[in-house]
Amino acid sequence: MNDVITVENLEKIFGDRKVLAGVNFTVREGETLVIMGGSGCGKSTLLRSLIGLLRPDGGKITILGKDMTSAGDDQINQIRRSFGMLFQGAALFNSLTVGENVELPLKEHTDLDPDIIRIIVKVKLELVGLTGFEDLRPYEISGGMKKRVALARAIALDPKIVFYDEPGAGLDPITASVIDHLIMDLSKKLKMTSVVVTHEMTSAFRIADRMIVLNMGRVIATGTPTEIKNSNDPYVRQFIHGEMDGPVSFQTTRDSYLKGLLGTHEQ
Amino acid sequence: MAVQFLSWVGNLGAKTQAALIELSRMRDLAASFLYWSLVAPFAGKRGLRRESFAHQLCFMGNQSLFIIFLVSASVGAVLALQAAYQLKQFGALLYTGALVSVSMSRELGPIVTAIVVAGRVGASITAELGTMKVSEEVDALTTMGIPPVPYLVVPRILAMLVMLPCLTVLSFAIGIFGGYLIGVVSLGIDANLYLKASFDALASKDILTGVAKSFVFALLVGIIATYSGLAVEGGAEGVGKATTRSVVASIIAIIVADGICTAVFFYVFP
Repeated sequence: MNDVITVENLEKIFGDRKVLAGVNFTVREGETLVIMGGSGCGKSTLLRSLIGLLRPDGGKITILGKDMTSAGDDQINQIRRSFGMLFQGAALFNSLTVGENVELPLKEHTDLDPDIIRIIVKVKLELVGLTGFEDLRPYEISGGMKKRVALARAIALDPKIVFYDEPGAGLDPITASVIDHLIMDLSKKLKMTSVVVTHEMTSAFRIADRMIVLNMGRVIATGTPTEIKNSNDPYVRQFIHGEMDGPVSFQTTRDSYLKGLLGTHEQ
Repeated sequence: MAVQFLSWVGNLGAKTQAALIELSRMRDLAASFLYWSLVAPFAGKRGLRRESFAHQLCFMGNQSLFIIFLVSASVGAVLALQAAYQLKQFGALLYTGALVSVSMSRELGPIVTAIVVAGRVGASITAELGTMKVSEEVDALTTMGIPPVPYLVVPRILAMLVMLPCLTVLSFAIGIFGGYLIGVVSLGIDANLYLKASFDALASKDILTGVAKSFVFALLVGIIATYSGLAVEGGAEGVGKATTRSVVASIIAIIVADGICTAVFFYVFP
């Protein structure tokens, strides 16, 4: 299997905080890779760097053989046509109908006849189980349906890779599971590579072919779901079992809390 | 008090720097707007989104037409009353029409229209783009390989550049009509004489400078409104703050630019 995404020594610094401190991993063709980690571990920064919304401060990202980090705006826009992205809040355009949302990438990037575009939109909506919803507005449908429309929009151009940002966030367990099955189903049917960022364990173990665990801006574990489950790394164990006690304590550090109370600001 | 004043003075440098950074970002947006509307369509990229442009034109016209009618008619009427009050003392009541038509087209038409449009349309552009930014819609657009400037900014500023001059010309006419009503009905000036005085005094230069000003105002309101929208951070509260700031900045920019334009027309093209 070929690697479709390669990330080497990726670094991103905000102010004086190193959010990504040398991240390395690869994504293989056709697999579903889950990126896990607690809040503030750099998951979102990693994802935003992968899709080119953030420019990393060091390291290299290669997507489908093309270097994202040294590419100019036009080249990045070219690369972006080969992947889709499902945002956490669906990010549908509220001024457009469901159908218009799905046809937007087709209208912008292809010269297809409007009739053909209409057929493609119908097919994509059928794939996510929303036939006949074309004329509704995003605010007229439920959260789970919004995510499905956003998924239809993400796969409108038949991308090779789809990125998912917290696909189950804000949904009830049943709807979240429906979305998970949709992701697995689509990956198989359309032979897409999926990269899913999540902190929800059930969902992660359900859909992953392989997973990586991020902590403090570094990859601390890589492997199949079984390997991760049997990991001996104390942080990974704490994370997947959701325990309070472990290497990550509730407070950042007790020391700075005391200093803060006493009014000294030196670290 | 003294400490507060000192810390205010001390922060002046940082505030100036922040303002300069924002100005340079607005300049970048203006440059990007010019690139996407003038250069990119000829470099094989997708040009103007016609549907969106047409939609914005209708939206801007519909939103502001009625208010501009109301405000321009009132301004014309008030101008006629105030002029008559002074001109009567010299027995020059007949010149009321001339004064109203010249000041409407040179000065008040463009500025009143621009301020109404900044408050009505500029604010809604900032709020709309700001909400899109906050709800990740702008990110979604970028991720789809559709740059936000040609898709969101260009149709709005271009529509503003077309619509504001049109509305300004309408405002001239309505203002002159407002003055006419007062002149004829209340001051008792002969209707034909009033109109003759109005249009005799009006040179084509008066109208041209007025329309030229409205182009400058349209560009300023357009850039400020779209920039403020796309720069929103911090959720719903950020959208509210940005909208207020956008309108305030637009109005200040309109008045300052009006001063500069008037000076240029006065000294360079006398």
